[in-house]
Amino acid sequence: MSYLELLKLASTEAVVVVTALVVLAIGLTTRREATGVTVATAQGDQNVGGSSSARTNAICSFIAALGLAIAIGTALMLPRKATLFSGMLVITPLTSLFKIICMALAFFAVLLTKSEKSLRHPGEYLAILLLATVGLMLLVSSEELLMIFIGLELLGLSLYVMVAFDKTDVRSAEAGLKYFLFGSTSSAFTLFGISLIYGMSGITSLAAISEKLATVSVQPLLAVGIVMTLIGFAFKIAAAPFHLWAPDAYQGAPIPSAAFIASGSKVASFVVLGKIVLVGFAPLHGDAAWHAMVAGWSPVLAALAALSILVGNFVALAQSNLRRLLAYSAVAHAGYTLIGLVAGDREGFSAALFYTTTYAITLVGAFGVVALVRRETAGDDFSNFSGLISRSPMLAGCMSIFMLSLAGIPPLAGFFGKFYLFSVALRADAGHGLLWLVAVALFGSLISLYYYLIVLKVIFVDEPSLAIASSPDHLSPDLLQRIAVAVLAAVVLFLGLMPDALAAGLLAAMP
Amino acid sequence: MPPFLFWLFASLMLVFGAAVVLNRNPVASALSLVVSFLGLAALFMSLDAYFVGIIQVLVYAGAVMVLFLFIIMLLNLRAEEGRRINWLAATGGIVVALILVIQIFSVIGHFQAARQTFPSLERSTTDDVWNIGALLFSNYNLPFQIVGVLVLVATIGVVLLSKREPR
Repeated sequence: MSYLELLKLASTEAVVVVTALVVLAIGLTTRREATGVTVATAQGDQNVGGSSSARTNAICSFIAALGLAIAIGTALMLPRKATLFSGMLVITPLTSLFKIICMALAFFAVLLTKSEKSLRHPGEYLAILLLATVGLMLLVSSEELLMIFIGLELLGLSLYVMVAFDKTDVRSAEAGLKYFLFGSTSSAFTLFGISLIYGMSGITSLAAISEKLATVSVQPLLAVGIVMTLIGFAFKIAAAPFHLWAPDAYQGAPIPSAAFIASGSKVASFVVLGKIVLVGFAPLHGDAAWHAMVAGWSPVLAALAALSILVGNFVALAQSNLRRLLAYSAVAHAGYTLIGLVAGDREGFSAALFYTTTYAITLVGAFGVVALVRRETAGDDFSNFSGLISRSPMLAGCMSIFMLSLAGIPPLAGFFGKFYLFSVALRADAGHGLLWLVAVALFGSLISLYYYLIVLKVIFVDEPSLAIASSPDHLSPDLLQRIAVAVLAAVVLFLGLMPDALAAGLLAAMP
Repeated sequence: MPPFLFWLFASLMLVFGAAVVLNRNPVASALSLVVSFLGLAALFMSLDAYFVGIIQVLVYAGAVMVLFLFIIMLLNLRAEEGRRINWLAATGGIVVALILVIQIFSVIGHFQAARQTFPSLERSTTDDVWNIGALLFSNYNLPFQIVGVLVLVATIGVVLLSKREPR
């Protein structure tokens, strides 16, 4: 193994890291009018300093987007199969596909950043976003516990900073602190769990662990190790008892950060969680069927899934802020996705990945709409959305596509995702053992329909509240971001009409 | 290492580790952490991991903790001293921690290999600095470099979040 070969196989990551450094350097060297810059309320007082900061933002976003596009190009040119250092860096069609998906999601997050006027240091923000993307790619493409942990930490540290980035907003600081405290505690648990697994198997590569574990029964020590390892991932995907950070982070963080947490971070966490349980812990599958529970990881994930679906949907009913509602619905969706992993074969994994990918695309789009509405009305409560149809039919249309897809209404991607998940779960066991989980999920979807429809009612039926209607400035023309939202809505519609485009690719890419 | 020394250093670590949390004065907390690190370094030495032990003293007990002390003294932190301990919360925390410790002990008690004596390691022919270096530049090269990126993120984050913004 020469360094040149390593660089060639890790070229995608290298390109993104270099882009991050370039963006960082531009952010540092562009002259800032340090005093008296009020960019936060961009409307009237766009003085010299404000426009120069906006220009920096535009340049940095452009370079970040360009770097991601180049990196996607290099990802397409990777060899079909390669393994480095006994699994630390693995290249398969699956990892390449998800590297590209992660970078595409980061690309849309960069587009959202461009119009975020409250960010005072766009260069640094984008650099951290790109480095977080590197963390995503490492997570996706590693089959070795040490490397997975470093990837988790790289992603986590970047996200803590991104959540707390807006220092003019108290909510952002609160969200950052909560996310940091929960995150560091849960990664301590994961590290402890990994060390127990390593202690029992003497190795950190997932395939070798599965060989070692095939000969042992589920001892108490192994059970502790598995449960502790899963805690960190349950935190990252915001599954129910570990979701307490989510509402504050979704509501308080700058919008691109929230969109990134809800999309890229979630997709990568599901990929790596799936690899750990399906490859590493494969011999300890257990059984989550209601009539024959067997100890293993699948009953643990089944319990997490059921709890997430119930807690997420019921608490979401009581929300009056759209971002908080999205956060609780994210908890519920993490629960649905876990069902695929509980079903636990190739098809279950690909159903889970299909669902989480479409969910991520939907949420980035929804956050794009929230960002545009928030710029205009300076808020994201339901009242800010009332009568959106009369102000901007295009945004209202896109939002209704996203909400209906989340609710699982037929022609959209969310419907097929749920259908695929539930049918896989029913087929997984000869005696329909996972029927209880599917029943819980169907019940949850029924509840969720209510609050998604409330959002649509606010947008289409409610009268615009007076303060907003009298505001002279209608939606400021931010063409790029509107195009991005429209593209995402089109993708959601397309994946609903022709799910095979992604689902068949996923299934073929499964090892 | 004789067992007597192991118990001495281990208890030193635990006592001063507890003192870090219990002390209300931040300077005393930081100094307790230094002593706790020294005990840990001695334990590493007893495992023949001389390099790790020395790094523990040089980097953690030396550089990192001196920086901690500087910052504590510069900022003149006094807020902690006056605060009362909330006994209800403290008891709750202790109970949860105790339950976890009991669980872990009972689980480890069930583990066969935990009761056997540990096989003595064979002495390596090369010294451990050489071994660590060889591993870092061969098998663990990729994680080594990624940790560099991770430290970069931490640096940028700390500078950004602690920087004072003009109003």
